[in-house]
Order: sequence, then C-alpha cells, then structure tokens
Amino acid sequence: MSGRVIVITSGKGGVGKTTASANIGVALANTGASVCLVDMDIGLRNLDILMGLENRVVYNLVDVVEERCKLRQALVKDKRMPNLNLLPAAQTRDKTAVDADQMKKLCEELKSMFDFVLIDSPAGIESGFQNAIAGAEEAIVITTPEMSAVRDADRIIGLLEARKDEITQYRLVLNRLRPKMVANADMMGVDDVLEILSIKLLGVVPEDEDIIISTNKGEPVSGTDNTRSGLAFRNIARRLRGEEVPFMDLEAKNDTWVTKIVNFFNPVRV
Amino acid sequence: MQLLDWLFKVPNGTAAVTAKDRMRTMLVHDRLELPAGKLEVLEEELTAVVARYFDLEPDTTRFDLQQMDRKAALIANFRLVRSKC
Ligand SMILES: Nc1ncnc2c1ncn2[C@@H]1O[C@H](COP(=O)(O)OP(=O)(O)OP(=O)(O)O)[C@@H](O)[C@H]1O
Ligand SMILES: [Mg+2]
Repeated sequence: MSGRVIVITSGKGGVGKTTASANIGVALANTGASVCLVDMDIGLRNLDILMGLENRVVYNLVDVVEERCKLRQALVKDKRMPNLNLLPAAQTRDKTAVDADQMKKLCEELKSMFDFVLIDSPAGIESGFQNAIAGAEEAIVITTPEMSAVRDADRIIGLLEARKDEITQYRLVLNRLRPKMVANADMMGVDDVLEILSIKLLGVVPEDEDIIISTNKGEPVSGTDNTRSGLAFRNIARRLRGEEVPFMDLEAKNDTWVTKIVNFFNPVRV
Repeated sequence: MQLLDWLFKVPNGTAAVTAKDRMRTMLVHDRLELPAGKLEVLEEELTAVVARYFDLEPDTTRFDLQQMDRKAALIANFRLVRSKC
C-alpha cells in the first residue's frame, strides 16, 4: 500500500489546524479509509484531547524516532473506529527532538500502513513547521478570513511553492467564516480570500459553537450529524478522496431580508 | 436600478473592501520581499530616465504594483508631450 501524506498547516497559531486534522481524520475514516493522525506539535500536544484519546497515550512520536518502542506500539487506536489511529506528540520535549530526515523515514513507514497520513503541524515557519512538511506530498493550508491569518497563510504558500517537487498540491480550507458578517461586508468572504491568495479551495468551515462543544466531549464534530461544521468537514474529506462535491450554500442565521437577497446572489458556500 | 446596485454590489469603503485592498498591497510587498521606500526610489529613477528622452506632462506619471496570480507586475504610465531627441 502507498497512502497519501497530507500536512495541515497555517503559519498563524490558533486558526484551526488541530481541529481540522481531527475532523478530517474522522470523516476520512468514516468513508472507510484507514487513517493515521500524526501530532507534530511536539511539546504542545493537543490532538489526543480533541480525539478524546488523552488517557490512552503510552508512547509518542519521539519514542518511535529514538527507538524506545515500535511504531505499532505508539499508535493509539480510536475507540469508535479501528481504522483511525493517532500517533501522539511528546509533551515534555521540544521541536528539536526530531529532524527532517527522521520525519521522512517515519512518513515512508506510515504510508505503507495507511491510506491517509494526516500531519498536524505546529504554528510558525521555523523548524517545527519544516519538520512537519518534510515527509508530506500534499498540504492543506488553513486560515481564517482575518488579515493577519491570511498574510501568514500567504507566507506558507510561498514556502510550499518553493518545494513544488516534494509537495505536489496544496489547497485552502477557510475556517471560522461568519456568513452574516460577510453578507454585511464587515469581513472578507470566500472569493476575496481565494483571489488574494490565488489558491484552490478545498472547503469552507463556518464559525460554529458545536466545535467547542465537541472538543469538550472529545468527539470531533464531523462524526455527528446535524452540525454545519461537521458537514463542512465531511465534504472536505470527500473532496480529498477525489469526489466532486459542490460547494453548498451556507446561509447566515438570523438573516434580515436584505442579507437574504444578497446571500441569494452571493451565496456563502461550504 | 440604484436599488439593485445597492443590493448586489458590495459598496466601497466597507470593512471587507478595505481589508481586501490593504491585503493586496501588503502581499505584493511581502512576496517581493520589497523593503519600504524602495519602490519610491525606483519610481524617481525611472521617471528621470524617461524624462531624458521625453518631455513629460507634469504630475501625470502613475506607478501601480499589481498582483497577477501569485506574481507581481509593475505598471508605469508616463504621459509624453514630445521627444527631446
Ligand atoms: N470553525 C470553528 N468554530 C468555532 N471555533 C473554532 C472553529 N475552529 C477552531 N475553533 C476553536 O479555535 C481554537 C483554536 O483551534 P485549534 O486548536 O484547532 O487551532 P490550531 O491552529 O491547531 O492552534 P495552534 O496553532 O495553537 O496549534 C479552539 O478553541 C477551537 O475550538
Ligand atoms: Mg494545534
């Protein structure tokens, strides 16, 4: 088997990399694919919490690299789906604990075991980021529609472009979109951000309180029905698998008739 | 008609339009790694060169740094009165 290694990255911190990793991982696993989530935010371990697996972590990625355990021993199987696995980050080490070559080797091994290897990258553009992208062949760039996040995403896109030979494609996930504010022209919308960054769109995730609730429960929202963000992440997973999923209208809640009409002609999509 | 314009066009001066304009300028400079002030120096020098060959209409020269995909284009516009040659 040779799976796909996809890194999820943003430049700016706190824009939703870990949330997206967990949710896309769950959604991909729900389509039947075998998935390994890799937490590369060494020293700031989070992905296990979002997955509700924090009590089951025994070994971590650094243990594997330093050969204190076998790769299989470090993998934490998801309690809901046996085809979903997590390789946790070390919490008590720092970004220098692994290097790019070790990461490449690890990714090679992982992609012989799984259909999808999703790497949650740390914020920034320094060594932690460089290591996270070292073994990747594809990237998901994630940003919010805020200026500082978009600027940092642009920086990341520039760095990815410089590695065209290794990273053959990258697409954008626009997170925390507020349809009502976009309809009122209070903030940039999907088309604005796409035009500025000149990048292909993979998906749009609305601002959604259900994300916070699901994080607290340790059950990613893409595994549950009836949430707009969950649907958005499931659509992203299907697009990753090569399906043509149309971008759905995403209407603002509490619309006035004016924003409804504007929305009709300038729909916000997920 | 004016009502339709108002409904379907995002008006200028909104926060969204301002943000987009600021982003465009910012990213063109970021991508070129262009230090602040350098462009102004280039514009002065370019104008001086063109002015050696042509009389220029005063105060009409325009420089515009535009984004084209992920590349940038410098568009210069000189209004020429006559050749000096
Ligand atoms: N679509 C959304 N709606 C509401 N809240 C969100 C959404 N996406 C992310 N969040 C919240 O934003 C916060 C940051 O998310 P997350 O930890 O995924 O970001 P990150 O990019 O991984 O951060 P870091 O750079 O620190 O690793 C979290 O509290 C998360 O619940
Ligand atoms: Mg994170």
